[in-house]
Amino acid sequence: MLAFVTIGSTRFDDLVQSVFSPTVLSSLLQKGYTHIVVQCGNSEFPYAHLLAGGEELFQVEKEGVSIECWKFKPSLQMDYDRADLVISHAGSGTILDVLRLEKPLIVVPNPTLLDNHQEELAFELQKLGHLESSTVSRLTQTIQEFDPSGLVKFPSFDGSKFANLLDEEMGFL
Amino acid sequence: MWFHIASAFVLIAAVICIRAYSILPDYKHSRNLNRVSKTCKLAVFLGSGGHTSEMLALVSSLDFDRYTPRTYILSEGDTLSERKAIALEASKVANTTTENSNTNTLPYTILVIPRARKVHQSLMTTPSTAFFSLLQCLYHITIKSIYGRNQHNAGYYFADVLLLNGPGTCLVLCVAVYFNKFIHLSAPKVIYVESFARVKTLSLSGKLLRPLVDKFIVQWPQLLKDNGRGECRGWLI
Repeated sequence: MLAFVTIGSTRFDDLVQSVFSPTVLSSLLQKGYTHIVVQCGNSEFPYAHLLAGGEELFQVEKEGVSIECWKFKPSLQMDYDRADLVISHAGSGTILDVLRLEKPLIVVPNPTLLDNHQEELAFELQKLGHLESSTVSRLTQTIQEFDPSGLVKFPSFDGSKFANLLDEEMGFL
Repeated sequence: MWFHIASAFVLIAAVICIRAYSILPDYKHSRNLNRVSKTCKLAVFLGSGGHTSEMLALVSSLDFDRYTPRTYILSEGDTLSERKAIALEASKVANTTTENSNTNTLPYTILVIPRARKVHQSLMTTPSTAFFSLLQCLYHITIKSIYGRNQHNAGYYFADVLLLNGPGTCLVLCVAVYFNKFIHLSAPKVIYVESFARVKTLSLSGKLLRPLVDKFIVQWPQLLKDNGRGECRGWLI
């Protein structure tokens, strides 16, 4: 199985470092994730020099897991599609994209962001059962205990709500 | 003499305040328009990144034959939002049958305005860039509408409704709309939709715009616990 890790448009050093750590990798392997793909952005981590010269991606084998890692791509759609598990920063755009594809999702809010409302969103969506919210230090444990079959399906996009609201407001209804 | 000048100033200030106060949105008696026209001129601010994605998701659900023509307002240098807006328009055209496609003019325009505050810009220089941004907005929203009253460019008005969801620059647009209201010029209804990402605390633009807009919409009911103005109909995106 394949796990996809994405950290968004900036950097999230702690999350990328943790994903490359032996404990997280072996917990992933234990759960059957033999392949992981990491979108690392501009994060600083032990393998970052492999992308420093403008290389598109690098591949390594660690703790029995094959890892592919790159900085950015114009669209992550393909990576979401083929993933069996997504581990991501708690950006609302990423959360929506992944949940709409009905992929199991573990989010790790980035505590270094100034206006940290990511945690609130992650926490509420966890309460509703749509995803699992974790932290860098708890990630290994979360992966071990995570049971995707217990997740609640996220409702699909219903554009009529806003369309009706605006139609009412503008006197069409 | 000085007393007279001073009292004149006080009087003028009082009139301005009363006028400014009287045009604040009356939320309790929010009326529906008596619709004469079958179409509605729509203006949408695309605030880049997640703001743009959410806004375009909202706009994608609208009936484009009804909400026409459309103006997408975006900040200087935000080519990604521009591309996304054009892509949405293209997908809508692809999905509709050929009936309204006999006109050569595009049903939408893209309006680029300077940013009120650039990312990482120091607070010291923000007032001057914000002022420049405001002047541009006033040109499009106010000055062009005044010209629209003359024969040249007859009938121009900015929009019937303006949709905002942050960040900073959308405040400048709202101020320009207020200027129109102040001088009794046609002004769009302003609707603010807080991001899905905001669960317990409003964004800064949300806090600032809440008393100013005609309709304030949030996507999580917790945000209205303070009994302040606003409406929640659940998740819109």
